[in-house]
Amino acid sequence: MNRQCGCDDWHLSRRNMLGRVAENVIALPEQALVEGPAAAAESLRGRGLTRRKALVGAGGLALACAAMPRFGARGVLEAAAAEAAADPNARILVSIYLDGGNDGLNTLVPITDPKYRELRTRVGLDPATTLPVSGHPEFGWHPSLTGLKQLYDAGKVAVLPAVDYANPDQSHFNSQIFWRTGVVGPTNDRTGWLGRTIDAIGGTDNPLQAVSMGWGLDPILLSRTAPVATLFDPSGFGFYIPGVWSDGAALTPYRGALSGGRSGARRAAQRSFRGAISVFDQLAGIRAEGDRPPPPPVAYPDEHLGNGLRNLARILGAGFGTRIATISHGGFDTHSSQLTDHADLLKTLSDALVAWQADLDARGLSDRVLTVVWSEFGRRVEDNDSSGTDHGAGGVVMLVGNHANGGIQSEFPGLTNLDEDGNLLVTTEFRNLYATILESWMGVEAGRILPGVDGRRLALVK
Amino acid sequence: MSKPRPVSKAARLRAERLYWRAGFGALPGEVEALARRGVPAVVKDLLHPRGPALRKGPAPTVEGQPIDPFNVWGHDVLWWLDRAVRGRHPLVERMTLNWHDHFATSNEKVGQAKLMLDQYQTIRKHALGSFRNLAQAILNDHAMQMFLDLSNSDKDDPNENFARELFELFTLGVNNGYTEQDIREAARALTGFTFDWDTKTFGYDASKHDGGVKRIFGKSGRYTPRDVVNLAIAHPKHAPYLCRKLWGYFTPRPCPPGTLKRMVAAYRTSKTQLRPVLQIILTHPALYADLEDPDQVKPPLVYVAGMLRKTNQFVNVPDWTWLLDDMGQRPFYPPNVSGWEQDLSWLTTASVRARYSAASRVVESMDIKDGSIQKKETPAQALSAALRRTGKPWMGRQTRASLTRFARTSVADKTEEWQVEHYWPERQRVLCHMLLAGPDAQVC
Repeated sequence: MNRQCGCDDWHLSRRNMLGRVAENVIALPEQALVEGPAAAAESLRGRGLTRRKALVGAGGLALACAAMPRFGARGVLEAAAAEAAADPNARILVSIYLDGGNDGLNTLVPITDPKYRELRTRVGLDPATTLPVSGHPEFGWHPSLTGLKQLYDAGKVAVLPAVDYANPDQSHFNSQIFWRTGVVGPTNDRTGWLGRTIDAIGGTDNPLQAVSMGWGLDPILLSRTAPVATLFDPSGFGFYIPGVWSDGAALTPYRGALSGGRSGARRAAQRSFRGAISVFDQLAGIRAEGDRPPPPPVAYPDEHLGNGLRNLARILGAGFGTRIATISHGGFDTHSSQLTDHADLLKTLSDALVAWQADLDARGLSDRVLTVVWSEFGRRVEDNDSSGTDHGAGGVVMLVGNHANGGIQSEFPGLTNLDEDGNLLVTTEFRNLYATILESWMGVEAGRILPGVDGRRLALVK
Repeated sequence: MSKPRPVSKAARLRAERLYWRAGFGALPGEVEALARRGVPAVVKDLLHPRGPALRKGPAPTVEGQPIDPFNVWGHDVLWWLDRAVRGRHPLVERMTLNWHDHFATSNEKVGQAKLMLDQYQTIRKHALGSFRNLAQAILNDHAMQMFLDLSNSDKDDPNENFARELFELFTLGVNNGYTEQDIREAARALTGFTFDWDTKTFGYDASKHDGGVKRIFGKSGRYTPRDVVNLAIAHPKHAPYLCRKLWGYFTPRPCPPGTLKRMVAAYRTSKTQLRPVLQIILTHPALYADLEDPDQVKPPLVYVAGMLRKTNQFVNVPDWTWLLDDMGQRPFYPPNVSGWEQDLSWLTTASVRARYSAASRVVESMDIKDGSIQKKETPAQALSAALRRTGKPWMGRQTRASLTRFARTSVADKTEEWQVEHYWPERQRVLCHMLLAGPDAQVC
C-alpha cells in the first residue's frame, strides 16, 4: 500500500495539523481570556473539546473578538501601522522547517564513530569528503554544507545533534503535531507554540507581526487571538479586478464595510478582510520596488526556500514590526536514493542561509534575527535496502545568527547504544530548546507558552 | 387571474438561507417561488427531488474542451464544481459534499480519478438514504479501501487505519465508547480485502480474513467486515454523534438538547434513515435566526458555485482549481482523513484574497464593456443594476452604505466623454465585485 516513500501517514493522517487554518480567529471558552493561553490549553484538554467544538460552544459570541479595539475600519488599519512602528529594535525569530525528517547523521556526520560505517553501508559518507568541524574532530559536515561551515567557523551556528522527545513516535504526523504545538502527547489544543508566542508578545491589529511564508497558514503559527499574515511574495499580494484602472478603486468600497457585524462569521469575514487590506497597505513600499528589487549581496538559491527568505528579508527590512516568521524546506523524507537528494537539499539550505545572513547584515538586521532550523525527527541509524533511511529519532537542530552561541551545544549520544527501534538516543528535549529560545531570545516566560515545561535550559544565545 | 400577493422580505431571506445551507445558493429566478412556498414545503422538495439531476443546456467547456476529470489535471475539481453549479437536486449535491468531508478520502494517496469519481457516485446515491447502507458502501469503496489501507490488510498483519477512523471519525467520535483493544479486534475482523497492484483489481480473499473469534464492544463473535460496521452503528453512542455532526454542517449554533433527542429518536426509529434527521435540522428555527446577521461562513465550493449560479455563469476557466485550492477546499483532496476545518477556519488573509480573486474572474466573465453605460445612469441605478447582475444578494447596512457612497463618488469628477466610456462601466464592475466578494458575501 505504500506509495513512493513508504510513509502511510504522509499528508494523510488525521493527526496532520491542517495547512490551512484560521489565522486570527479561534473563539475560546470565556476562561481562556481570563486565565491566559496556557490555562486555556489545559481547560480545552480537560474538557475533551476539539477546536471545532470550542467554536460551536462559543455559539457565535466569538469571544476572541472582545480583544478587538472598538474603532472603525480605517482606525484599525492605522492602528496596524502604528503597531508596526513600535519598537524598531525588537528581536525576531525565524523558523525554517526541514519537512519530512532531516537525516541529522548525514548533516553533522559522526565520522569517527565505527558504527557509522558499519550501519550505513549504502548512504554512509566517506569521512574524507566531509568538511572539518572546528574543534570537533569526531564530526564532519556534509560536503554540501560549505556555506554553513563558514557560518559555523564564524561562531554563528549553535548545533544540537540529538533533539527530540522521550519515547519518540516515528510517525510524521504525531511528531509534527508535537513539535508544532509544543505539546507532547494527545491534545485538543491546535494552536502552535509560535502562535501562542505571538499571542503573548503581539498586538491586535498588525497581521505582519507574524508571517507564514507560503500559501496556507503554517500550523506552528496558529494563534488564539493575534492576527497573523500568510503570504509568500510581498510584491504579488495585490487586489485586482480586470478593467478597473483607478488607483485604489478595486478596494475602495471594501474599506467602508469592514466592521459592524455581530455574528461570529461576519466579524471573522470583516476581520480577515481588514487583515488582508492592512497587509496590502503596508506592503505598498515593497510593491513600488516592483518585481526587481535591489539584488541581495549574495544571491539566494532560486528555489522555494531561497525565494522565501529573500522575500522575508524585504519584509523585515521594511520594518512592519514582524517578530516571528516561518518557512518550510521540503523533501527530506529520503526513504530512497538519499545520497543525491539529500546533498541537493542541504546545498540549498546552506546556500540560502549564507545569502540570508549576508542580506540581514546588509540591511542592518543581523543583530536582531535568530534563525532556528529544525525537523520533526532524525532518521534511522541503519540505512535501508533502497539506499535511503527510514523514520528515526533525535534530529539535528541548528540556531543561526550573530547571537547564536556558536558550537556544538548538546550531547551526542553516539551510535553504540541505540533505542529499541535502532534509533539515536535523545539527549535534548525540544521543549527545553523552545523554552530557551522563548526566554533568552524572545523575552517570554516559557511556562506561559509551553504548559508544564521543566526548568532545564541550554546555552544557545550569546 | 389575480396577481400573487408579494412575499415578505423575511420569507425571501429564509428561502435564500435555506438554499445556501442546503445547497449552493438559489438561482435568481427561483427565489420568489421558493419564498412563496415556505420552508416546510421547500424542505420536502429538497428531501425528495424529482426530475433530471442537472439543469437543461449543454455541458460547459473549458478553453473549448469538455471537462475531462480522468485525464486533465485539475478537471476533477472542475467536474465537481460543475455538478454543484448545474445541479437541480441541491440537497443531494450538498450532502454529497458533506459526506465527502465526513468520509474524507484524498486522491493525493489514491492517485486515480476514476476511483474518486466512483466514490462520489457511491456517496451521492446514498446521500439522503440510510446511513447504514452508506457506511457499508464506503466499506466496499475502492478509493476508501486504498486510502485507509483496508485493501491488503491481512490476518497476519491487520492494518488498524480503517478500524480506528471508522470509530473515531465515521461513527462514534474521538474516544467515545471504544478502546484501543476494540480497534485492534475490529482491525482483525476487517481483514481480507485485497488489491493487486499489477492488474489493479480489488477483491476479497477469505483466506486472508481472520476468521477467529473477535471481541468488540464487549461482544464476541466471528465477525466479518460487514459486522464491524453494523456493530459501530448499533453502538449507543453512534446516533447522537452522527446527528450532532450533521447539525454542525448546517448551522454553527449549538444543538439544543431537546432537538438532539428528537433527531436521535427519528434516526433510530427509522433504522438509520437520514431524511427524518435532515428534515428536523432544515426546518429548525435556529437555521433561520438572525436573518440580517448571517452566522455561517460559506465553504469555498459553496461560495464559488453560488457566485456562478447567481450570475448565471458556468464553469468556463480552469482557474477554479487553483483558486479553490488557495481558498482551502479542493474537492477530492481533503487535507486529511478528518476532512476540512469548517466555519471560521476558512478565513485567513490569504484565503480572503483568493476569494476576492475568484470574484474578479466572475466579474471579468460578466463582460461589462467600456462604453456600454450611459452618463445619465444615477448612482442608485448603478447599484440596482449591480444587484440585478449578482442575483440580489443579501447585504448588511455598512455594505449598503459603502456601496452607495462609492456609486456616487467614484464617477463624480469623471465627466469627459472618454472618462464616461471607461469609468462608468468600471463603477459597475467594482459594485458587482463587492456584492459578490465583500465580507457580507462570505457568510450565509
